[in-house]
Amino acid sequence: MGVMLRYLTSKLKYLKLVNQYYATNQKNQAPSQDEKTPTSLTQNLTTNLEILNGFIGNNFDLVIRKFTFGEHRQTNAALVYLNGMTDQTMINESILKPLLFESVPNSNPASNHSVIEMITMTMLSVAEIKKRTLIQDIVEGYLSGETILLVDGSPEALVIMTSDWKSRSITDPKTESVVRGPREGFIENLLTNTTLIRRKIKSSDLVFESMKIGERTKTTVCIAYIKDIANPLLIEEIKRRLKDIKTDSILESGIVEQYIEDAPFSIFSTIANTEKPDLAAAKILEGRAAILVDGTPFVLTVPMVFIESFQSSEDYYSRPYFASIIRMFRYLAYMLSILAPATYVALTTYHQELIPTALLFSMSAAQEGVPFPVLVEALGMGVIFEILREAGVRLPRPVGQAVSIVGALVIGESAVSAGLIGAPMVIVVALTAIASFVVPAQTDSGGILRAIFTVLAGFSGGFGIMVGLIGVSIHLASLRSFGTPYLSPLAPLSVPDLKDTFIRAPLWAMITRPRTIGWHDPKRQEFRLKPGPPSEEDASSN
Amino acid sequence: MKLEKGEISSSQLMLLVGSFLQGGLLSLSFAYAISRQDTWLAVLAALFIGLLFALVYIALANRFPGKTLMQINDLIFGPFLGKLVSIQYLYLFISSLSVYLWFIGDFVLTYLMPETPIILIMIMFSLLCAYAVRQGIEVIARICFIAIIVTSLVILITFALLIKDMKYTYFLPIFEVPIGELIQSTHIIMHVSFSEVLVFLMVIPYMNKPKQTKKSVLLGMLIGGLGLLTATIRNIAALGPLSAIVTSPSLESVRLIDIGKVITRLEVLVAMAQILLLFIITSVLYYAVVLGIAQITKLRSYKPLVLPIGIFAITLSLISYESSMQLRYSTRYITPIFTVWFYFILPLLSLLVAKLRKLPK
Amino acid sequence: MKHLNKLVTTLLIFILLTLGTTGCWNRRELPSLAIVLGVGLDKMEDSDQLEMTTQIIKTSELKASTPEESGAGGSGGAGAYWNVRNSGETVFSTTRDFTHKVSRKLYFPHNQLIIFGSSLAEQGVQEHLDFFLRDQETRLEVFVLVADDRASDIFDVKPRLEKVPSMKIAELMDAQAANSTTSIVRLNQFATRLMSDTTAPIAPIIEVLGKGNERELSVKGTAVFKEDKLIGQLNKVETRGLLWVIDRIKSGIIDVNCRDTIVSLEIIRAQGKISSEIIDGQPYIKIEIKEDGNIASQCCPIDLVSPNAVAELEELQAEAIKAEIQAALRKAQKLNADIFGFGDIIHQRHPKEWQELKDDWDEIFPDLDVEIIVEAKLRRSGSLGQPVVLDKEQ
Repeated sequence: MGVMLRYLTSKLKYLKLVNQYYATNQKNQAPSQDEKTPTSLTQNLTTNLEILNGFIGNNFDLVIRKFTFGEHRQTNAALVYLNGMTDQTMINESILKPLLFESVPNSNPASNHSVIEMITMTMLSVAEIKKRTLIQDIVEGYLSGETILLVDGSPEALVIMTSDWKSRSITDPKTESVVRGPREGFIENLLTNTTLIRRKIKSSDLVFESMKIGERTKTTVCIAYIKDIANPLLIEEIKRRLKDIKTDSILESGIVEQYIEDAPFSIFSTIANTEKPDLAAAKILEGRAAILVDGTPFVLTVPMVFIESFQSSEDYYSRPYFASIIRMFRYLAYMLSILAPATYVALTTYHQELIPTALLFSMSAAQEGVPFPVLVEALGMGVIFEILREAGVRLPRPVGQAVSIVGALVIGESAVSAGLIGAPMVIVVALTAIASFVVPAQTDSGGILRAIFTVLAGFSGGFGIMVGLIGVSIHLASLRSFGTPYLSPLAPLSVPDLKDTFIRAPLWAMITRPRTIGWHDPKRQEFRLKPGPPSEEDASSN
Repeated sequence: MKLEKGEISSSQLMLLVGSFLQGGLLSLSFAYAISRQDTWLAVLAALFIGLLFALVYIALANRFPGKTLMQINDLIFGPFLGKLVSIQYLYLFISSLSVYLWFIGDFVLTYLMPETPIILIMIMFSLLCAYAVRQGIEVIARICFIAIIVTSLVILITFALLIKDMKYTYFLPIFEVPIGELIQSTHIIMHVSFSEVLVFLMVIPYMNKPKQTKKSVLLGMLIGGLGLLTATIRNIAALGPLSAIVTSPSLESVRLIDIGKVITRLEVLVAMAQILLLFIITSVLYYAVVLGIAQITKLRSYKPLVLPIGIFAITLSLISYESSMQLRYSTRYITPIFTVWFYFILPLLSLLVAKLRKLPK
Repeated sequence: MKHLNKLVTTLLIFILLTLGTTGCWNRRELPSLAIVLGVGLDKMEDSDQLEMTTQIIKTSELKASTPEESGAGGSGGAGAYWNVRNSGETVFSTTRDFTHKVSRKLYFPHNQLIIFGSSLAEQGVQEHLDFFLRDQETRLEVFVLVADDRASDIFDVKPRLEKVPSMKIAELMDAQAANSTTSIVRLNQFATRLMSDTTAPIAPIIEVLGKGNERELSVKGTAVFKEDKLIGQLNKVETRGLLWVIDRIKSGIIDVNCRDTIVSLEIIRAQGKISSEIIDGQPYIKIEIKEDGNIASQCCPIDLVSPNAVAELEELQAEAIKAEIQAALRKAQKLNADIFGFGDIIHQRHPKEWQELKDDWDEIFPDLDVEIIVEAKLRRSGSLGQPVVLDKEQ
């Protein structure tokens, strides 16, 4: 009852807002009306071109090439395409050249219908050709870089796949650099990205399902998963949520993420993203689904669990001992990054008895004469750090580094020597800053948590920190990402999955896929894969 | 209409019971003064008696699968008398809730922030619990895993680090404490810790495998009991006679740890574990009260009750107790007597009546 | 929308509650603390009042001053520390009274020592200890000492290596393990002994040697309490005798006479065990000591390779240990203070018989039958097999 009422009131508010606008701008409503009624092509080329022109309008990148072909140059035709989004060579060599210089075999002027058929079958040396009659379909093809061939007397148009536009070449991913592992990263081109994944998983079960989202941008969004590993319910849910997006524009996968995530109010992201094809492939192989969005190198993977933030692709490429130790350090660094300033504040303002005596002396000496309370210092330094970081990211690279280094040095060094802040505080903030970059997936939530914890510690010390920690735990435990509990495999506990949580077990011991994600088909590999020299029994039998 | 949509697994129930019992660590200090170096015996005895009591509760739960204590009362005693019994239980739960709220306030005041008004600590803490209760038993159960890991690690680590300070002679002479006082101490430990397993009759119905109830609850009690026992042995062996006079033996004994002046001041770990455990206890009790009231009044959701009950519990604890000395006195000499009715006589009576009436039909 | 509103309201309420109220009562910034490192308790010379000396650290001077510089100032206020004196009826009221003299709040958790003046200790210390046990700011692992004369004098002696006298004494205590002739007593141990019916509390004695700027601190022997009153002291030898029995020997040197030369033997490891028996209603105590030693220095012209020589040294060593224990025992029985905890041992092993012995323990203890068994071994002879002297004499 309450839910319905709430829904109704918000719906009414929305309608009121929209209608107010349309009441004042009546004419803007017109074109969208037109697009909705499907229009078919006619037999006449000139009319067709006019209709098309009505949809496309006068754009400087529009190219309409009229020509005649056939044995006696009796048939009029036109090519329509967007300059810049199409492969010019292909149009010249594979479409225009055959049409202009070769004769249509067995051409029968009586039946125009078969001209289109003939051209497709015998003349065009292009792989992908679609026949379309609806103007809307044609326009869509044209807008995504396909070439439209209209032939006089035919109510059908050929939509020829000639899309090709300049894109970045495949380079190192900027956000996830590795020491060991593939160096290629996704790029802005969706097709390249699917290819990158396909090249890793050469399985017929790998499915790319695509849909167009965004009423104006018509962005292609593609769900990638392995048919018999991914849970069908998960795929259904992803499709349902994607279909529900009714917005005008999808420019980046981050926008998709915000429309489909489970907990929009949470500071934790429940959808992971990656720039690395090997990582995306690994996640798909665990039973997750990847969502690729045209125009961005960032690929979303769902469901996401909290501990995923602490895993890195390199963990699996290096040997288990070091990988496990490094993973532990990541947990440590994360705790440090969210708790270090809070702990420092709590220790120095409430629990001085917990500081070792010798350390207390030096901390106390450093704090002597500092005019601000520690809490103010901590928050102020936090703000300054965030500003420096942001400046470092936004500014052109060479300037950015200089600004951040000089800023940190000058502010840190001279503020301490001027007695404005204590030296230990600078150390704590610097430590926190470095630690916060160790776990990139949680950097943004970490920053917010850090501020919350610092304030809590400043006002109620260790008790405040504890209350905050328990509160965050409750929140994390209540989150779900596409049906998977966010804190799994810790809570709810799934013992077999702990093999890849705090430590990274040897690969040959990871027999099953993560239980909460890939339980649809748990078996990852054979049971006895532990490598070793041939045992004596084997040797004797040989 | 189901009030609670979540489900917990058998292992989660086990951990829930385990951490619930370990939370008795703080209130165990009431017993040290009475049974001194024999307190560990009292803990052991209380564990066994507690296991026997738990069998009664489990029998009750298994007789009416999927029903909470309040619904069981209605079935056994009829709608009117059943409500009367349920209200008595609710009174017990809510008074325990208020005691634990006082505990947390007292604990924070004594060891962390002596000059802060107790009500603010209580409000902060009960807001936290209210948040957890609103998320349902499933979320509380998930946090239990973290709680039990943290507290077990703390107990084990501090035990290991204190071994060099321990003197086994502090346990001697065994059985020196008169048997009457030992029984009294056992009874207090029963009262503050083991018998409160009763509250899980409100949780057991939401377990996904009802057949494993017995195993989970008993194993959980063993885990909790062993935790308490380890901590008790640690405290007595490290503090000796001092354990009888300090207000929190666990904290004081861990304070003695000093390894190379580096690993020292670990009482902060104990305090953290203590707050975490008190949170679990308070949340479970809170949840039981709120769910119970919702079931008696046949509400469709217990969520609207959460905040009012919290305010009520805080008020109750502020009215009931004026000082920690008073709480110590009443936990030692008053409340154990009258809670026997709830923990022992009522459940047994329920089981008996259910058997006589051959319920459920 | 509604959800968001609710979230924002809840957060606001929470933030207001935490910001506006909690905890601010207890905020203490580091510069607002007067960190106490040592407490001395004395009886006022002219009245029965308590005089309390607290040694507070001056954090601002910590970095700059070296011990030499601090030596230049007058007593009490020089260097990185400040000794403040105040008098009052009880420890707690005296502590609070310090606010009249010190602008910052006295902060006890880092307190290293409690030193009792001898005149106060003779009167009894129990009432003064309560504060240190009860207050949540104080810790149980504080060192307890007794001053040879007045506790306040101890704090005025400037340390040579450290910056603060209290830290120096605390480190001195830690260093005592090397010779094991001083009992190191922490508050929890002192209180445990105090709580026992029979066991007498002990504490090391600290004294001031020399005069003026040449003054030095030194630990000597052990103060023995009966109940909570100081009744006597043990010298260093007797102290080690005590430590053997209560199993607190860590290291140390035993000198034995061997053919008119002195052989120093280093204690490597020692184990003391007390057991009790009741024979015909009479308690009987057996002390067993097991000791391993190395030869630290010896000029005795014996060949250590021969088993006989080693056995001879071992015998001498055992005798020396036994003598130390007997000295301690004699002193304890003379003072009638059960510093060894024999009473507790009997209590623990023979709880039934103890009920009868308990009340008469003061009569029983001075004449208690004690058997001492020492088993001393020599393990290594250092990097020399025979002394250098041996060659010369030949």
